[in-house]
Amino acid sequence: MVQDWLRRATFVDWFLLALRIAVVAVVGTGFVAGLLHPRYSRAEWFSFLAFGLTIGAIYALIALGYTMVYGILRMVNFAHGDVFMFGAYAACFSLLACNRAGILGPDPALSFLIATVVCIAVSAGVAVLAERIAYRPFRRGRSLAPLISTLGLSFVLEYSARGMFGAQNKAFPSMPAVDGIVAFAGFSVPRVQVVVVAAAVLTMVVLTLIVMRTRIGTAMRAVAEDRDAATLMGINVDRVIVFTFALGGALAGIAGLLYGLVFKQISFFMGFFLGVKGFGAAVLGGIGNIPGAMLGGYALGLVESLGPAAFLEGLGVSSPYQLRDAIAYTMLVMVLIFRPRGLLGERLSTARA
Amino acid sequence: MTIDARRAVLRGFAAACLAATMLSGAVRAETLGPVTDDVGVVKIAKGQPILIGALLVLSGPDLSLGVDASRGAEIAFDDHKNTLVGHPIRYLPEDGQCSVEGGQTGATRLASNRQIVGVLGTACSSESRGGAPILWNAGMPQAVTSATAPALTAPDRPVGLQGIVRFVYNDINGAGAAVKYAQSVRATKVATMHDGSLYAEELVNAFARQFKAAGGTIVAAEAISPSDTDLRPVLTRIGTTKPELLFAPIFVGASAYLVRQAKEVPTLASTPVLGTDAVLAPAFLDAAGDGAVGYRLTGVDNDPKLMGARYGDFLAKYKEKFGEDPIGGFHGNGYDAALAMMTAIEKVAKTDAGGDTYIGRKALRDALMQTADLDGITGKLTCDKNGDCGSSHFAVFEYASGDPSTFKLGANPKKVFP
Repeated sequence: MVQDWLRRATFVDWFLLALRIAVVAVVGTGFVAGLLHPRYSRAEWFSFLAFGLTIGAIYALIALGYTMVYGILRMVNFAHGDVFMFGAYAACFSLLACNRAGILGPDPALSFLIATVVCIAVSAGVAVLAERIAYRPFRRGRSLAPLISTLGLSFVLEYSARGMFGAQNKAFPSMPAVDGIVAFAGFSVPRVQVVVVAAAVLTMVVLTLIVMRTRIGTAMRAVAEDRDAATLMGINVDRVIVFTFALGGALAGIAGLLYGLVFKQISFFMGFFLGVKGFGAAVLGGIGNIPGAMLGGYALGLVESLGPAAFLEGLGVSSPYQLRDAIAYTMLVMVLIFRPRGLLGERLSTARA
Repeated sequence: MTIDARRAVLRGFAAACLAATMLSGAVRAETLGPVTDDVGVVKIAKGQPILIGALLVLSGPDLSLGVDASRGAEIAFDDHKNTLVGHPIRYLPEDGQCSVEGGQTGATRLASNRQIVGVLGTACSSESRGGAPILWNAGMPQAVTSATAPALTAPDRPVGLQGIVRFVYNDINGAGAAVKYAQSVRATKVATMHDGSLYAEELVNAFARQFKAAGGTIVAAEAISPSDTDLRPVLTRIGTTKPELLFAPIFVGASAYLVRQAKEVPTLASTPVLGTDAVLAPAFLDAAGDGAVGYRLTGVDNDPKLMGARYGDFLAKYKEKFGEDPIGGFHGNGYDAALAMMTAIEKVAKTDAGGDTYIGRKALRDALMQTADLDGITGKLTCDKNGDCGSSHFAVFEYASGDPSTFKLGANPKKVFP
C-alpha cells in the first residue's frame, strides 16, 4: 500500500504530508513542553475546560442555524449572526422588564422562561423575515444573489439595531439566581456556566427530537436529501424552508440569551464576530451535518480556551491569549487539510457524489 | 496600432509616471499672495469661512472621548465669537472610530477638502497612527485632544507624524501617575494587560519600565484583542501569578468584560484593577452596569478647585449649550486644542488689500509647535520641542454606582487619590 502511494503521490501529496507532519510536530512540542513546565493547577485546567464548554455551547447553537439552512438550501445565511444579536437584545429587554415588574429576583425561573419565549419569538421572526426578504425572491435563479442579499441584510439588521438600541455596548441585567459558584466534583464553577451548558444541551436534545421524530423533521431531512424528489412526494418545500429558518432563528435566540447571561454585555455589532465563529464551527464539524455543528462548536470553544495554555505556553509564546483566534482558525484550516469535509463530513456529500 | 507603436506608448507612459513620482517627492515651495510656504498655502477669499476640521471618535462605545473634546472645541469657537481674522469659522468634525482604519477613512475625507487649514484631534492614538500621515501629507497640522501614546511625539518620529502637536498629557506622564498610585497602595507585584492598540501597548510598556525602575515587579504581561469577549482564560492565567494589582489601560467594551469577569475568576476576585481615563465615560457604566462599582482609573484631575474660576464658567457654558454635564474627561483639552489652533492661525495669517487671507501650512504647524504661555482651561500651556504641550494634574477615581445617569466627574466616579 505504501509503495502504491509512493508511486501515485504527486508534489501536492508530498507537500500536504510535510505540512501534516509539521503541524503535529509543532503542536506536540508545545504540548509536551507545556507538560514539562506545569504552570496551572488542576483547578485552573478545569476552569479552562468549563470556559471552553460554555462558549462552545453558544458557538454550537449558532452553528446549528447555519448548518440546517445549508443542509436544505446549500446556501450560507450570513444574516444569521444578526438574528442571534436580535435574540440577545430581546432577552435583555425582557429581563429588564421582569426586573421592573419585580419578578427577576424572586422568581428567576419565570423570568428565564419569559426571556426564552421572547427571544425565541423575536429571533425566529427575524429569521423568517430574512427568508422572505433576502432569500425567497432569488430562489429560482441559480446564482450567488441569495448569498449577497443575506450579506446585505446582515448590514441592514446591524444598523437598524444600532438605530434602535444605540451604538453603545449595553449591560445585560444580571440574574441573582445564576450568580455565585457551585462545587462540582471537587472544583468550583460559576453557576451561570452550569446553567448555560445545561440549557444548551437541553436545546440540542429538543432539536434532535424535532428533526428525527416529527413529521416536519422528517420532511426537512427529505428536502435536504433531494429537494426535487421531496416535492414529488408531496412535501411542501416552501413550508419546510420557512420552518428551517424559524428553527435556526429560535436556536440563535436561545444562544443570544445564554450569551448575555455569561458575558453580561451586548452590542449591535456582536453578531458579526460570533456569526463568523459559528460559521467556522459549522464548517469544522462538516456543514450541513447537525451533530457535526454541535461537535464543531464545542471543539472550537475548547481549542480557544485550552489551546493557548496547552500549546503556545510550552512554545514560549508571550501573551498567548492574544493569539486565541489565530489558534482557532489555524485549527479550522488544519482540520480541513486532514479532513476536507469537516470532522463528521458533509451529510450531503454522499448524495452529491 | 502596431505592436511597436503600442510599446512606444507604454514606454512613454512609464517614463511620465516615473518623472511624476520623482517630482512629487521633491520639496516645492508654494507662493500665493503675500505668503510663501514649503508645504502649501491656503487662500481664503473675502467673506468665505476658515475651515477647521476635526478627527475624533464620534460613534461606538468610545464616543465620549471624541464628543466631549469636540464640544469643548465648539465652546472655544463660541468664546471667539466664531470669527477668526475677519472670517467666520466653519467647524467640520469627522468620525475616526477610535481605530487605525477609521482614522485613515476620516483623514482621507478631511484631506480631500484642501480648504481645511488645520485639524483638531485625534482622540485615540490609533486614529493618529492611521490618519496623521494622510493629514500631514495634505499639509494639515493636528492639535491633538486626547491621543496620548508617546510614539506620536517621539523625538525620532517619522515624517508622517510631524504635523502632530499635542494638547494633552503624554502617556510617559500618565504611566507615572499609575506607578505612583501602585506605590501608594504598596503593590510590589503588578500584572498588566493591553489590547494591542497603540495607546494601550505603549502605556503598558511605559508603566512597566517606570514601575521596574521604582523597584516593583511585573509578574504577568498579557494581551487581548479589542473584540475579545471571553477574558476569563487570560484572567485565570494572570491569577496564577498572584498579582497585587492589575493595570489594564483598555477601552470601554473590553474593560466592561474585564470588571465583570475578573470577579468570576477565583484567584483574581479580590485583586484590584486599575484602568485609565479611556473608560471615564457614562458609556462604560452602560456596558458594565453594577460591575463597575469599585473600579478605579487614573485620569486628569478636573477638580474645579484645582482648575480655577475659568473652568467653572466653562462648565456652565457646556451645560447650557449641550444640556448635560461633561460626558468624558477631555472637554478641557478640546477647548485648549481649538484655542491653540485659533491663536496660531491669527499669528501666521496674512490678509491682502482685497480682504483675502493667506495661511502658510508649515508656518501654521510651526506656530502651533511654538505655543507658549497659552492660557488654557487645563492650565498654562507651553509646548516642548517635540510638540508636547499638555499640562495635567493626575488623580485616581473610583466608580461608586453602575447607573449611567449618575455619571458626574468628581461624584461618580469620585476622586480617591491623591
